[in-house]
Amino acid sequence: MHIMEGFLPVKHAIGWGVAAAPFVAYGIYSVKKQIAANPEQRMLLGVAAAFSFVLSALKIPSVTGSCSHPTGTGLGALLFGPAAMAPVGAVVLLFQALLLAHGGLTTLGANIFSMAIVGPFAAYAVFKLARSLKASLAVSVFLAASLADLLTYVTTSVQLAMAFPDPLGGFMASFAKFAGIFAVTQIPLAISEGLLTVMIFNALARFNPKELQDMKLTDTAEVRA
Amino acid sequence: MLIEQCAYGNRWRKVAPAAKGLFCLGGFIAAFAASQPAAAAAVAGLVVLITVLGAGVPFPRFVRVALPPLGFLLLGCLSLAYSLDFQGASNDFTVLWLPSGWAPIRQLAARSGAALAALLFLALTTPMIDLIALLRRLKMPEVLLEIMVLCYRMLFVFSEALHDTRTAQAARLGYATPRLALRSLGSLTANLTLQIWQRAHSLHIAAQSRNNDGAFRFLEPEYAHVRRDLTIAALGGALLIGLAVGMP
Repeated sequence: MHIMEGFLPVKHAIGWGVAAAPFVAYGIYSVKKQIAANPEQRMLLGVAAAFSFVLSALKIPSVTGSCSHPTGTGLGALLFGPAAMAPVGAVVLLFQALLLAHGGLTTLGANIFSMAIVGPFAAYAVFKLARSLKASLAVSVFLAASLADLLTYVTTSVQLAMAFPDPLGGFMASFAKFAGIFAVTQIPLAISEGLLTVMIFNALARFNPKELQDMKLTDTAEVRA
Repeated sequence: MLIEQCAYGNRWRKVAPAAKGLFCLGGFIAAFAASQPAAAAAVAGLVVLITVLGAGVPFPRFVRVALPPLGFLLLGCLSLAYSLDFQGASNDFTVLWLPSGWAPIRQLAARSGAALAALLFLALTTPMIDLIALLRRLKMPEVLLEIMVLCYRMLFVFSEALHDTRTAQAARLGYATPRLALRSLGSLTANLTLQIWQRAHSLHIAAQSRNNDGAFRFLEPEYAHVRRDLTIAALGGALLIGLAVGMP
């Protein structure tokens, strides 16, 4: 769930924008380097952005009966690396604000920080950690995608709690309130998204092993299996 | 996409995008600068009125576009309306209703409403292509612009592919049970994911065969009355800010 237009006070809106800017700048720098080395990357990232915009319009059924949409941050981070996800995510969030009124321009910085920075980096770190602990590809992908999803919403809750601390209980009480609202929909969603991402990786391994190898996530033996 | 249809079909399609952007900026400043909730609400009402009467966006359509964010606002306000207190003795915590009254909620709702109205004004009157051209003139990094152009082009290709695949799956009872639905969604997204590389590769070859050496350049439409539009937008924006700050 994106923070809506005008919801954050002006100091927070600017603050999160300033916090997100260096990551986006570094992402642009790293994308430029990738494009210089491999010109085909230019098309790839744009097409990937369109894919994740369309994916976010997809409803996936979750256990409690509510429907929610996948964030795709975990998938993107594993496929294209966490650094490239900051500019791609920024574009997707801008499009969602302008084409779907989902999110907003003043809250763009905060939303970029949670969905295009924290989510992808968490997914990448979890994946690397799980792989180094000798977990199988499927388990690592599941953990990366679902934990990235959860951490994204924890970040959003932190952002909201910082902007609106509870008059009695302060930051913690407020965090509990916002996280509680999100937990109802997001914990089942995170599990569904994890499963979905594993299925995507299985299909990639079956039909498109070359791309997976190019991304150096797996070794050849596992892809063939 | 409803917003997209309005953006192309409204009365102010030919107004310079820079002017519409300027007016939207004025709306944002007014929303955040408003001294009273009533002032912000007045700004919101005025911007909605201008969008509906001036740009000719049908009001029912405006409401349909605004409903999902307003749902978020309702939920957000609800979570401010009660308060948890962990400080009590022996670990019991109390739930208090409206600890600081209605004032913070009114303020939040009015501010978000005004900012949302300003965003919708821009989104409903200006097509994405015009906004990208505007951002190019504002010196946005070229890499981001390229991603935006490609994303906008491929968006419709992907949504059509998604729609067709889904229809085919549904026709074969692919969404009959939750278990089947997850399976179908998995193969659908996997299939679309594979298309990222296929389509990117085709685009790359198409661009190369036309001697593309980097940036994508497009002809920009000419706007007849840029200076007049900008002046009107600046006056309108100033009026909104004046209303927000000056209203008692």
